[in-house]
Amino acid sequence: MSRTSFWQKFRELLSFENISLFRVTLIFLLMIFIAAVLSNGVFLQLENLLNIVKQNTILIIVSLGQLLVIIIAGIDLSVGSVLALSSVNFVIFQDFGLVPAICLSLLISLAIGFINGLLVTYGRLPAFVVTLASSLVVTSVAMVVSKGGTIKHSLSGIKLDDKISEFFKGSIFGVPYPVIIFIFILLIIEFFLRTRIGHFTYAVGGNEKAAIISGIPVNKVKIIIFMVASTLAGIGGVIFVLRVGLGNPQTGGNIPLDSIAAVSIGGASLAGGIGTVPGTIIGVFTLSTLSNILNILNVSPSLQYTFKGIVILMAVYLNSFKKE
Amino acid sequence: MKLNKIFNLFRAFFSSNSPLVVLILMIILSSLIFPNFLTRLNICAIVKQYSIIGFLALGQLLVLITGGIDLSQGSMVAFTSIVVAVLMEPCGIFISVTVAIISSTFLGFINGFLVSRTKIPPFVVTLGMLSIVRGLALTISNTKPISINNDIFIQFGKETVFNVPLIFIVWIIASIILHLYINRRKMGCYIYATGGSEESARLSGVNVRRVKLFVYTLCAFLAAIGGVIWAARLRSGSPIGGSGYELESIAAVLVGGGSLFGGVGSILGTLAGVLTFGVINSSLNMAGISPYWQGTLKGIIIIIAVVISQIRLLRRDRN
Repeated sequence: MSRTSFWQKFRELLSFENISLFRVTLIFLLMIFIAAVLSNGVFLQLENLLNIVKQNTILIIVSLGQLLVIIIAGIDLSVGSVLALSSVNFVIFQDFGLVPAICLSLLISLAIGFINGLLVTYGRLPAFVVTLASSLVVTSVAMVVSKGGTIKHSLSGIKLDDKISEFFKGSIFGVPYPVIIFIFILLIIEFFLRTRIGHFTYAVGGNEKAAIISGIPVNKVKIIIFMVASTLAGIGGVIFVLRVGLGNPQTGGNIPLDSIAAVSIGGASLAGGIGTVPGTIIGVFTLSTLSNILNILNVSPSLQYTFKGIVILMAVYLNSFKKE
Repeated sequence: MKLNKIFNLFRAFFSSNSPLVVLILMIILSSLIFPNFLTRLNICAIVKQYSIIGFLALGQLLVLITGGIDLSQGSMVAFTSIVVAVLMEPCGIFISVTVAIISSTFLGFINGFLVSRTKIPPFVVTLGMLSIVRGLALTISNTKPISINNDIFIQFGKETVFNVPLIFIVWIIASIILHLYINRRKMGCYIYATGGSEESARLSGVNVRRVKLFVYTLCAFLAAIGGVIWAARLRSGSPIGGSGYELESIAAVLVGGGSLFGGVGSILGTLAGVLTFGVINSSLNMAGISPYWQGTLKGIIIIIAVVISQIRLLRRDRN
């Protein structure tokens, strides 16, 4: 039984239906191979791989939220600003202790997602406009709160513990914290997509009218998804503080577009209804492997932007052959 | 009786041009609150500053009418300014400006080609191009801003004709030409048809691919002019300049009655949308409001404007 299902899965993978992710996986593996050869195997050493995961923890977490929003045929341009505000909030609320500070900044992120969702569903506004506007608002609030610069002191003037950035270097049983967080959130989102709401999510994105007619609470699903995406961006902000040791209202400028690029490379469709967690992970790592290769080849950081754009276009082009 | 007729004409004009009404109300409000608002100096500052976004918004409008989007505009501005600055010393004004505009237009042509010939969504195509063009600008300039010392070129950014800034006049002339073009020519009709319903446009014999190719190329061309003006005003080319301009131009088009779903929008509305942001920006500065808060107000204005245009569309559909 399990054998047939395995073969079935394998054939499905090769069949036209799933070919998009299959091709991107091939590109990804090819790039890993190139990186490994170019670096004489250094790329594949555990330390380097862990480093890549560490560097991309924030982008992966935010991209998973972006994935959910893109599955419901939306788009979230506010994730970068929410990340920045959350990093500032986390520092400001230090007075209440570490855990309450995290909870508060995540709650505020959640509230922003709730407002985004309300405007998209009951306000009947396009997600692009709503999140563009909310990114302006959220950034400006973050700037006001932190007076425009990076921030290290809480409301009552307590300085952020310098040891806070030590946290990110810690590990349990040899597994670094960032990797644990990464796997934990990955599993949660994968599980989420398999729950009832997860199925609803795909249904809403695939065909909204059909979803409404089948009795799916479309608006509720959309609001929940926007809340989840913002909360994930908030978690990204908290991790930013834990890593860098300060709050920055201007961080995350590239995050919205980078996450959309990663999700698109991972086979999701901006038209909604399509997209997977493994695809998104592959999308993020494709981009980071690319920059690794270019670094090994000593390509200037300026030209790396150009290559990044070309790879985004190529990957999404290969994804665009869908079953007619 | 005659007065009534004129009144009705006015009402018809303004109800179909509500962004213009908003702009006029904003101007009246600002000039009542701030006595310095309606001075020549201030108005000149506003129109000078927003002529660049104005050029971008014209291109963005055409792309949005076809139901697409162009995120690469900001990078195009930086790229054009860099090419102008690099070529200014050795080749002179004419060649540097021509080469800059042609090369940016070619990049826009690639945008249009990819959007019309492949199934990559416009958002991703222009997102990729954003990165590619920014990379080119950074590479050519070696990541450093390049100053421009050509007096005639710099004068172009400062020149006034009858006390009106030259770049504003250029922007208005470009708007009038585009307005006539999309209202009097077949291509304009095709652009609206493509955005209204691509399938029906294609079935009625519109060459949708050519329309898209044309629109993205023209959009990059207008962005390139914006980049040249930017270089003239700042007397330099900057590889990191213009980032985020694409979002400002989209916001201006939306405030001017355009839609992300395509098929609607007008040049007049877009002009009003651009200037509305200029007026708001200026009055916020005059009121001494911290620049940090300005994002909040901009965001709220975008939402309000889109809600208004949404309501108008609903009403039109009901009728």
